Amino acid sequence: MTDPLALDPVLGEGERSRLPFNVDLPHDERFRAFEDHVLAGGKVEAGDWMPDEYRLNVLRFVEMHANSELMGVLPERDWILRAPTLRRKLALTAKIQDEVGHAQLLYRVAEDLGKPREAMIDDLLAGRTKFHNVFHYPTRTWADIGVIAWLVDAAAIVAQQALRESSYAPYARTMKKICWEESVHIMHGRDVVVTLAAGTVEQRAMVQEALDRWWPPLMQMHGPRSEREADRDLHWRIKAKTSEELRQEFLTIYVPRVLELGLSLPDPELRFDAAAGEWRYSEPDWAELRSVVTGHGPASQARIGFRRVQREESRWVRETILVPTGAAA
Amino acid sequence: MIARARLPRDRERDLQKATSELLLALADDDFVLGFADSEWTGIAPHLEEDVAMSSMAQDELGHAAAYYGLLADLSAGDPDRIAYDRPADAFRHCRLVDHGRGDWARTMARRWLYDSANAVRLEVLAGSANRPLADLVVKVRREETYHLLHGEAWLERLARHDGEPRRRLAEALELVGPDAPSVLAPLPSEALLVDAGIQPLPGAELLTRWSARIEPVLGRLGLDLPAAAPAALDPRTARSGHGAAFTWLWTEFSSVRALDPRATW
Repeated sequence: MTDPLALDPVLGEGERSRLPFNVDLPHDERFRAFEDHVLAGGKVEAGDWMPDEYRLNVLRFVEMHANSELMGVLPERDWILRAPTLRRKLALTAKIQDEVGHAQLLYRVAEDLGKPREAMIDDLLAGRTKFHNVFHYPTRTWADIGVIAWLVDAAAIVAQQALRESSYAPYARTMKKICWEESVHIMHGRDVVVTLAAGTVEQRAMVQEALDRWWPPLMQMHGPRSEREADRDLHWRIKAKTSEELRQEFLTIYVPRVLELGLSLPDPELRFDAAAGEWRYSEPDWAELRSVVTGHGPASQARIGFRRVQREESRWVRETILVPTGAAA
Repeated sequence: MIARARLPRDRERDLQKATSELLLALADDDFVLGFADSEWTGIAPHLEEDVAMSSMAQDELGHAAAYYGLLADLSAGDPDRIAYDRPADAFRHCRLVDHGRGDWARTMARRWLYDSANAVRLEVLAGSANRPLADLVVKVRREETYHLLHGEAWLERLARHDGEPRRRLAEALELVGPDAPSVLAPLPSEALLVDAGIQPLPGAELLTRWSARIEPVLGRLGLDLPAAAPAALDPRTARSGHGAAFTWLWTEFSSVRALDPRATW
């Protein structure tokens, strides 16, 4: 499903002509022209000149996002076969297909910045690049599938909506399409959670247990608080919001929605401080986050190992496609 | 002894039973194939193919859901209960889709064999005297056309690459080929279905048409399809006596529902 708005050009008419930093200027002057352009809200296209720092930061950001979409497929994939009704099975395969599609779109955005897709997969499988913390945890019950599709995708979409305004235009365009699809996933996930919450005593216990398990990683997902001024991704307008802004936004929207289902959240400190206008919560375990995203999570090695094996087993197929017909493979 | 003439009410009941048998065969074929193919989601050889394979698996499941819906209408039942709450040996999918998904060559060989046979079957069922079935088949055929193109493109690609791709394809055809005719093998109540125009042509005729379609393709690519296994043509065995791969699949797909079959999921 494609958001019709995703087809609108991101660049305004005035911006589509040749930009000052594309002219052959001395490096420092060109750098300043580029910075002025981006800081004034201007967009950058793949073929534009850009400073190395900008190129590397966008690449790192998009590559991690692509890796997360690709690895995010695995926890849910285990449940495609077990989805308990025809409708759930169709919704789940469609959702996972979307995630694979997002990985493909994002790897293409990253490829244009100069790193081949195979090199990105190599780095991912060798543990040289990262993916989101939430995809390093195992899935234990069907309720996990509801909680992931609802709340993990919700936490992601809070961040992704802000990325539709990214200064890097190909990424911004891709995010429009991705956000549109993610909003459908959230509806699917909420429906699974609501059905279980309104079901038998056992089903309700199953969804509460899943929520208790996923809440700490969800609170870690946007990362520790950081200084706005020190964040180069914010400086270059690759992203628009700090970790804490995203987390507060997520809590504001989703805490009431979870509670209205009669479910509870496993943090006694969690409350809205009306005077300060923000949510208070127990300090997330940042040591756990660091450990998990560097490949030491409970399912990190199993997931990476599984993908490595699958990639090896189908290597001959990729070689078949790359070698001209008739040649020995 | 002279057989007693069947009363019209008996015939009506027999015909409904035969129609259910046909719908169940169609539904279970797509259901089981859709499940097996969905195992590629997330791990297909490359991302573009992953998206294509997921689409096809969803199409098959969508078709299965629609056939189960027609069955549910006949029996005042529930499509999910029909699909999920039967014991493994009550499934009536054909022997071709009973094999595990195997490697990419086996998946593609099976897809092409199934899609080419299914195309022949659907072409005939589009003229079924059962209107709801005929109407549904018209819609299903629109999507199946693309599956056949996809399968044929892969068959050609693998066959024309000497070495590992061609070797794997030949092995796959050797393994699943003998069971391919099971898609079109006569159903136990075929005579009744043909007589009533619900399945306008008998299985033997469908098999002849199918051979005429696939032989030129196999000939052009220099591929051999082994002779049919007797069990794949016998109405008593073409859709029963499932193997270990299906037992595993059944255990997986019924595991969450089995926690509480009466709950809403």
